[in-house]
Amino acid sequence: MNRRSLLAVLALAGATIFGAGSAQAQDKTIKIGGLFPMSGPGSYFGAQDKQGIELALEEVNKAGVNGYKLAIQYEDSACSPLPASQAAKRLLDNYKPDVILGEECSDATLAIMPIVEQAKTPLINAGSSSIKITDPGNPYTFRIMPNEVMQGVDIATQAYNKLNARTAVLLYENTNAGIGNAKVFKDTFEKLGGKVIADIGFGRDVNDFTSIATRVAGAGKADVIPTYTLEGQGLKITQALAQAGVVKGGGGSAIQLGTIWLPFGFEQKAGKAAEGYVRIVQFDPTDQREMVKNFVKNFKAKFNADPTHLNAHAYDQIMLIADVVKRGGKDAQSIRDTLAQTKTFVGVTGSVEFDSHNQNIKMDTIHYMETKPDLSWNALKWN
Amino acid sequence: MSDAAVVAEYRGSRRRWAFLAAALAIAVLPYVLTGNYWHTNLTVCAINVLLALGLDFILGYAGQLNLGQSAFYGLGAYVSTLLITRLGIPFWGAFAAGVAFAGLSGVFLALFAVRLRGHYLAIASLGFAVIVHQVLLNWISLTQGPLGIYAIPPPPPIAIPGLPEISFRDPVALFYLIAGFALLVYVLLDQLVRSPIGETLTAIREDEISAASLGINAAAWKVFAFGIGAAVGGAAGCFYAPFVGTLVPDAFFITESFSILAMVIVGGMGTLIGPVFGAILLTLLPELLRGIGDLRLVVYGLALTLVVLFLPGGLAQAWRLVRAKLTGAPVSAR
Amino acid sequence: MTATIVAQQAINGIVLGSLYVLVALGLTLIYGVLVQINFAHADFVTFGAFAAYFFMHLLGGNYLASIAVALAVGALLGWAINLTIFAPLRHKGSELLPLIATIGVSTIMQNGMLAWFGPIPYAFETPYSQRVFRVAGTFFTAQSLIIIAVSTLTIALLYAFMKFTFLGKALRAVAQDRETAGLMGINPSYLIMLTIVLSSALAGMAGAMLAPVLVLTPFAGTTVIVKAFAIVIIGGFGNVEGTILAGLLVGLIESFTTQYFDPGLIDIVVFALLLLMLAFRPTGLISERREENV
Repeated sequence: MNRRSLLAVLALAGATIFGAGSAQAQDKTIKIGGLFPMSGPGSYFGAQDKQGIELALEEVNKAGVNGYKLAIQYEDSACSPLPASQAAKRLLDNYKPDVILGEECSDATLAIMPIVEQAKTPLINAGSSSIKITDPGNPYTFRIMPNEVMQGVDIATQAYNKLNARTAVLLYENTNAGIGNAKVFKDTFEKLGGKVIADIGFGRDVNDFTSIATRVAGAGKADVIPTYTLEGQGLKITQALAQAGVVKGGGGSAIQLGTIWLPFGFEQKAGKAAEGYVRIVQFDPTDQREMVKNFVKNFKAKFNADPTHLNAHAYDQIMLIADVVKRGGKDAQSIRDTLAQTKTFVGVTGSVEFDSHNQNIKMDTIHYMETKPDLSWNALKWN
Repeated sequence: MSDAAVVAEYRGSRRRWAFLAAALAIAVLPYVLTGNYWHTNLTVCAINVLLALGLDFILGYAGQLNLGQSAFYGLGAYVSTLLITRLGIPFWGAFAAGVAFAGLSGVFLALFAVRLRGHYLAIASLGFAVIVHQVLLNWISLTQGPLGIYAIPPPPPIAIPGLPEISFRDPVALFYLIAGFALLVYVLLDQLVRSPIGETLTAIREDEISAASLGINAAAWKVFAFGIGAAVGGAAGCFYAPFVGTLVPDAFFITESFSILAMVIVGGMGTLIGPVFGAILLTLLPELLRGIGDLRLVVYGLALTLVVLFLPGGLAQAWRLVRAKLTGAPVSAR
Repeated sequence: MTATIVAQQAINGIVLGSLYVLVALGLTLIYGVLVQINFAHADFVTFGAFAAYFFMHLLGGNYLASIAVALAVGALLGWAINLTIFAPLRHKGSELLPLIATIGVSTIMQNGMLAWFGPIPYAFETPYSQRVFRVAGTFFTAQSLIIIAVSTLTIALLYAFMKFTFLGKALRAVAQDRETAGLMGINPSYLIMLTIVLSSALAGMAGAMLAPVLVLTPFAGTTVIVKAFAIVIIGGFGNVEGTILAGLLVGLIESFTTQYFDPGLIDIVVFALLLLMLAFRPTGLISERREENV
């Protein structure tokens, strides 16, 4: 096309964007930024987060909140510090959100925290477990999921007391979250009097777990095997441990302990090997609360799949924002302040009350499930 | 004055104007492309330009296929950062140490592999990059491994008497520092390439056997080229760390080597200016294509493949063709 | 107890090693005739794995047939990459350009697969991967048996092909001296195409066998390709016996390093070995060919 028509198109595009922007402002919108991994190995996190958010936005925007609608714009943070930093900057420069959701991976979250703090925009996180995210006390970062210390201490204590475990083998991925979680378990378990007979960390690129399972088998009788790894590797580990005859599902006696990384639906993929697996779930789909049942029903209707904890967390993040807006939040600063005062919010994953470090301290977000031989869940009700 | 001397002086002054123009462009860019996001992009471009220049020297001028540039990048970053955070060594001292360490590693690798040709050297350099990455990842007590090193401080502010203090917390100032350094490296490499040393390297690249018959110690020169290219890569790393503020080993995975290679090839290896534009183009292309979502990296790979298939001289070649078309002049071989 | 552990890790190492051999064989064959490296080789492996997966899950095929499907898909990919990349670039005589082009292809394939198949790991189950045999304190799955059986058969067939058939000898002739082979009435282009197709078929097949063992995502290939390169060098570029030996060696290194040290050290050990080989014996473990200018 010739130069004149090109200019015309650009002018039109510019006017449309500008016009749309001002139209938005008149409609009273709360702008939400979504920093999630859309590419790379963490991309299935992003895909599931989007689903949960979509469902929540649909519900909230039906009636709006206090005259406000919620809108979201996503940027791909790729589960890695540099892309996440760039995505955060782009989001802040172009979209100027009032509140940001993200990231999933601890490393990426740690990288974007200083950026959002400098921009004085609150960040709500529901995916990263590293203690470093709330420990130093960042006034602009809020985490609704229990951190690695809360989870680790609890599961180690429950294992010792409720499962009578005295020996453990640690299996974890060599990342902030994996190493952090394993360390907390080890410290707590040993303080109670338990013994860690093997401590095996591995990279995300390790594929074959038969050798690792052999090593575990050779380490002695393990009562529990806390496992901190993502879905793909987790699947292989469980199967390998069964093949090696270590875990219950393979004829052994060890019980694998898992946390929130394992998605709902893991059992169906792992098969018999997953029998006896005990894990913390952030979202209990068998929860009988009205809110949860509705969520599951609506999610299934919209996406034709059962919701995972990722969907649920994302859903809760939007609901929390809606709650904050209801309580008077309307821009970055007021949203931040209102968030900090949250004491009685209830979501599908559990309740939210932030401590002085903006960490949610409610333990009812930690649910324990045990996998039965028929691969369904038995809620252990330890909390 | 002889004709040749006139031409040489003409080219020399044209070169000086070109450098001036480049410096001016660098000065003006942050005010044309404003906002935190663009300033970050520009700085990433500058760092990539450095990486590409380093690799280009090894690959385009000495003819060595180095797939290990990511290792020198990472070594520069980690050595300088650890010296700063663990031993309290001032920034520029650590910078020099990082560059030196990377350069020496390049020399070390070259000594190992330089007698091997082509693909052997490529794989050896790849192997070196894998080892470096794994060491950075696993030696947790030294490097923190995947836990990462956080809150890396920017270079210390510069106080010039009579002027306000220049703080490198300002992203524009940091960009100027890195881009300025890249320009400096470019000028130095340009001098090197047009000196007798450059001719020697070209002779080795074109025909090693004949060069040897002229008494040139090819191995020694290749080691030299590797050292320089690696040192430049290390410098890029020393800037990367304070720029991003966070250091994790995965930033230096081997795929980074491939990206840098692509920048050099797309730009046009064997020229110095080509890789500069190759780096800028390939840095900005994924950002500009973000709207396409998942497919942007596919487009990136497609661009690379197509360039290699249809325009192997890269942007430099394209530029020569365009210029020839416009001026009607015959296209020179180089 | 220790003897059992050693025996078990030896089994694990051999199973893994056989898979690596299949992947590396393709690379080394291509290098032998073309003196080129196909960086996208590992992505052929991944693509073959996905082809097998969808054959089983969408079309309801059985596992053993899916191996054949993966083989065919690999062959097709090989034919395509020769047509679009290797053949056109051949007369340009550059060592590096085809390699770079295949890096581009690798990027396209990985991210294309990501966009198409999504990032969620696929659970590739076969009836054989769940069937466990326990013998004298060790364990192995039916899948491992299949891997070893198919690998051994393939290697034996390949070996026989190279040594005893006319086509095989022609291939070796082209590998040794392309010009002279051409003068002898052998069509090098045709043979090169054949080699690439064969090698890529091997890659695809390896994918179908690897997928139940590894984690199946579009990035599965990256984890394997780097070791494959190491194997090719340790074994000697273009050298079939060397590659087999090196592949098994690397598999064993992997399992024993995991047992007695740390899984994170595997790559370091393998590549340190690689660099040592390059320094002291660049032609590889078994040098049968005389490299011109190693």
